[in-house]
Amino acid sequence: MNRLKLLKEQDAKAFVAYIMAGDGGLEKLSEQVLYLQKAGVTAIEIGIPFSDPVADGPTIEAAGNRALKAGVTLDKVLKEMASWTFEVEVPLLIMTYLNPVISFGVERFAKECKKARVSGVIIPDLPYEHRQLAHTFLKKEDVALIQLVTLTTTDKRLEAILQEAEGFVYAVTVTGITGARDQISEDVRAFTRKVREKSPVPVYAGFGISKVQHVDMLREDVDGFIVGSAIVEAFYNQTIEEIEPLIQAVTAPHSV
Amino acid sequence: MTKVKICGLMEEQHVEAAREADAIGFVFAPSKRRVSIERASELAKLVPVSTEKIGVFVNASLEEIEETVEKVPLTMVQLHGDEPDELVRAIKVPVIQAFSIRHKEDIQRLESSAADFVLVDAPGTEYRGGSGHVFDWSLLERAEIEASRLILAGGLNAENVEAAVIQTAPYMVDVSSGVETDGRKDEVKIQEFIRQAKGDSMQQTVEKTGFFGKYGGQFVPETLMKAVKELEDAYMEAKDDPAFKQEYHHYLSEYVGREQPLTFAKRLTDAWGGPKVYLKREDLNHTGAHKINNAIGQALLAMRMGKRKIVAETGAGQHGVATATICALFDLECVIFMGEEDIKRQQLNVFRMKLLGAKVESVTKGSSTLKDAVNEALRYWVTNVEDTHYLIGSALGPHPFPTMVRDFQSVIGEETKRQIVQHEGRLPDTILACVGGGSNAIGMFYPFLKDESVRLIGVEASGEGLDTEKHAATMTKGTEGVLHGAFMKLLQTDSGQVLEAHSISAGLDYPGIGPEHAYLADIGRVEYESITDKEALEAVVSFSRLEGIIPALESAHAIAQAEKTAKTMSEDEILVICVSGRGDKDMATYAERLEGLA
Ligand SMILES: Cc1ncc(COP(=O)(O)O)c(C=O)c1O
Repeated sequence: MNRLKLLKEQDAKAFVAYIMAGDGGLEKLSEQVLYLQKAGVTAIEIGIPFSDPVADGPTIEAAGNRALKAGVTLDKVLKEMASWTFEVEVPLLIMTYLNPVISFGVERFAKECKKARVSGVIIPDLPYEHRQLAHTFLKKEDVALIQLVTLTTTDKRLEAILQEAEGFVYAVTVTGITGARDQISEDVRAFTRKVREKSPVPVYAGFGISKVQHVDMLREDVDGFIVGSAIVEAFYNQTIEEIEPLIQAVTAPHSV
Repeated sequence: MTKVKICGLMEEQHVEAAREADAIGFVFAPSKRRVSIERASELAKLVPVSTEKIGVFVNASLEEIEETVEKVPLTMVQLHGDEPDELVRAIKVPVIQAFSIRHKEDIQRLESSAADFVLVDAPGTEYRGGSGHVFDWSLLERAEIEASRLILAGGLNAENVEAAVIQTAPYMVDVSSGVETDGRKDEVKIQEFIRQAKGDSMQQTVEKTGFFGKYGGQFVPETLMKAVKELEDAYMEAKDDPAFKQEYHHYLSEYVGREQPLTFAKRLTDAWGGPKVYLKREDLNHTGAHKINNAIGQALLAMRMGKRKIVAETGAGQHGVATATICALFDLECVIFMGEEDIKRQQLNVFRMKLLGAKVESVTKGSSTLKDAVNEALRYWVTNVEDTHYLIGSALGPHPFPTMVRDFQSVIGEETKRQIVQHEGRLPDTILACVGGGSNAIGMFYPFLKDESVRLIGVEASGEGLDTEKHAATMTKGTEGVLHGAFMKLLQTDSGQVLEAHSISAGLDYPGIGPEHAYLADIGRVEYESITDKEALEAVVSFSRLEGIIPALESAHAIAQAEKTAKTMSEDEILVICVSGRGDKDMATYAERLEGLA
């Protein structure tokens, strides 16, 4: 069974960690995954580098460029993951722009994802309208196509998107690109609350989440958090242990 | 939302009418709706990339199915015979297995299917593969089948589909005879069926629009979807408003200085010794190129939408200057993203933009050229989407941009058509235009697309040569992919990373090409040729001396190709070149590269 289906049953808040595959060399990937699962994250999102990452801010773009320089490709990442012999205890997700997938072949992509034990795929430039491009192939392999909703998603659209949501829904908490922020706007709470009321699957907040304050602010209105730039930066600076308090803040049982 | 499949398509206009469907079906089994692989593959060129293409078979062999999947190509296979489970499992693409439902026992066979999806249909009468009789949907109610695997067919039509969807909540509904009149598909019925199946208002919120054949679409992050939909609505409404058109034409004539002449190039004609050559003089526009036609149109639209902030990208700086100019005229706030490399190459235009009051942001990421400037402009738009309009400079980007830019540039072709008939009493035989993103070319070509006798040639830049890595020949060397919001042709690596394009002309230096061009190439309506840096520079010199017009480097590509094409034409023929801009902005390059000119 697809591991994402288990997420629904969890009590504690989820922590999804994003890493850029091959930042620092592809051999780092398994190390990072092992580290994160030991640190108690709920799921790991593995980013595929792309030459034109328009949804990303400077941190992830720079990490992607380093990975591209190291010769990382979608093919190599999926092969690397399929070769792992250690036990992967958390669901793995792939986050990739659409073009590398088209170039790889959507059908082949779905099959290789399955072999690599990928539970879900996030494609930020494949909106709901065009999901058919990948959805049926992924469905055949039991890989979820995670949908994003944002502060600018209209109510009607939100309804349509949520009706088909699989795994979890990715609630984008900024009107903008990825990257650590100081502040998360107050509108975000009303937004995540609305999404959560309507969503049949867990709602995870992502984009800009980098501090315990952000987590405290949104805790009651989401099922989990997705942290990207802060983790990418920490792995790059070799200060990943400084992220542990944030993981703790999210996943520890919380009494109000 | 339940998906819709329109099955048994055989004709172009019906494929077009089914554009909003999620899937279309081609029948390869004996049936009055049967099509050949070749025919299906022709029709498939008209189908948006994100629509399923499903082939219907009855007891075909695996080889036959695989061959068809590959050649059309198909994304799914639908089986209507007595195919064994081994065959179902051996097919690589997702499989739909169809079952005729008469009794409850039929439901059991369906429950144990090895296929990814099961299709339930009324029992076949004449041919297998659907008979168009409606069956008792309530039979399904107790079936052990996930609604997400269920496809409903048989006797559906616009009147009953809504009820069927409510009762069974299937993954997809499939219709064929229900959208026909006298045994032939009916465009109106197809569209009405889709509307009814999806629910009218929901359909509009999430419809898939803006495809030219399989190219185009809206491949942007969710944050931008609201903005592109709003823009689409605003543009559709404005374009039919006579007051908007009048205002646009007012500025074109009073500010830009249109209409521009279609100049007969006598010395060029004599020198080339072939057809009569005419020049469409976009170089005479205020700011020096065709770019301003589009900038005015979009700025007026932005103001109509209540947006007074503009962001744009620029390569050569021509579009940046046009945008900065219009923003000065209309008192709009203006931010222009420009690659650091281009800033170095186009100092003068950078200064012009600043003088006009625009903020010029240097982009140092990636290759620091046009593609990266578009990335930054898109990021800026995502972040400031509520009050900012993205004024894209070519026939690129997510829908509605390629259509809108084409329409605003179509004034080029419309004037040309009128003028050539005045001069010559007939249409030209050949028209050439240079292609970067493709805006001047599509503006010139569009009004002539239906005039089959007119040969249309787009000219891209092959830089240092097609056999080198330094070129921008997207049509010749590109492959299908998604960049900046559209499915189109791209220069990319084997792993789907977008490559840097190279051309001496900053305006042709883009690794993609507008989706409509990709489509026109596919259907063979427009031919695409390429010209090297060296050939373009030679054309600059000869053209300047023969006609007293110093062309932009971009336009020189069209001129250089025109000379080659003219050699194959006769004296009683007519050739038109779109001179998209003047060479002022390129003077530094000319001075450097043409040093020692005698
Ligand atoms: C004079 C001129 N012609 C042509 C182009 C190419 O653009 P497009 O293909 O959109 O017409 C440019 C772009 O900057 C230009 O400045």
